[in-house]
Amino acid sequence: MHPPVSYIQQTKALYDSLGYEPYKWFAADSEPAFTKLKQPLSECKLGLVSTAGTYVAGQVAYYYKDDTSVRAIPSNTPVEDIRFSHVTENYLVDARQDPRCTVPLEALQTLQKKGVIGSLANNFFSCMGGIYSQRRVVDELIPALEKGIADEEIDVLLMVPL
Amino acid sequence: MQAGKPPRAKFLNYPLGFGTGKPFDTENQLAVLTAAVAGFDSMLKPGVESLDFSWDSGWEMIAERDKNKDGADQRSPRDTTPRYQTERDKELAEGN
Repeated sequence: MHPPVSYIQQTKALYDSLGYEPYKWFAADSEPAFTKLKQPLSECKLGLVSTAGTYVAGQVAYYYKDDTSVRAIPSNTPVEDIRFSHVTENYLVDARQDPRCTVPLEALQTLQKKGVIGSLANNFFSCMGGIYSQRRVVDELIPALEKGIADEEIDVLLMVPL
Repeated sequence: MQAGKPPRAKFLNYPLGFGTGKPFDTENQLAVLTAAVAGFDSMLKPGVESLDFSWDSGWEMIAERDKNKDGADQRSPRDTTPRYQTERDKELAEGN
């Protein structure tokens, strides 16, 4: 088995070699808010957040300089309409051929049909995860995601980071 | 992932960019998602658990793709121009 790759160390080494200031990776300063499910997953409504710069054909794509906007992705969007714009697009070469390896729309639809998941939110959400300003993530991105998610009245949220 | 202290997390040891499975392998993608969402019911305290999948040929694929890029800056330009995946996407979104 291949050992896990430390992408953080790779990125630090690359930035050092290019002469950039060291990037300050986020570290949580508090314990997570953990809540046990009120009912089994088979009775829950599930939402999804993708940080892969996912958009639907017809929507405005993301830009690469700290874009804190979000996109609503209808959960029944055909896979062939899923697109990606993300500052680290070198990691999305294959996802642009088969979005299902990064955005699990079809797998979640299948799990809902099989009864593993109770239901899916009408809208999933996406953002462009390569935002260098932690302040802007906290002040702009997270509130926008929170509003969209709250409107969906979900029970559980699955986040798929890039 | 540990530094972010998520309430429940499942770690998939695939190359970055394949967070929900192998491309064009819907059986693997469904297996990964099935194992991942099972954590909602099974994880009774905060933590990071590893998923029982490995994909050595995936790492070889990435190494072959990037073998001549050591030290290269692969980041795209950081500006405020929307970066569409296709020109057709730009036409659809901006009406050009």
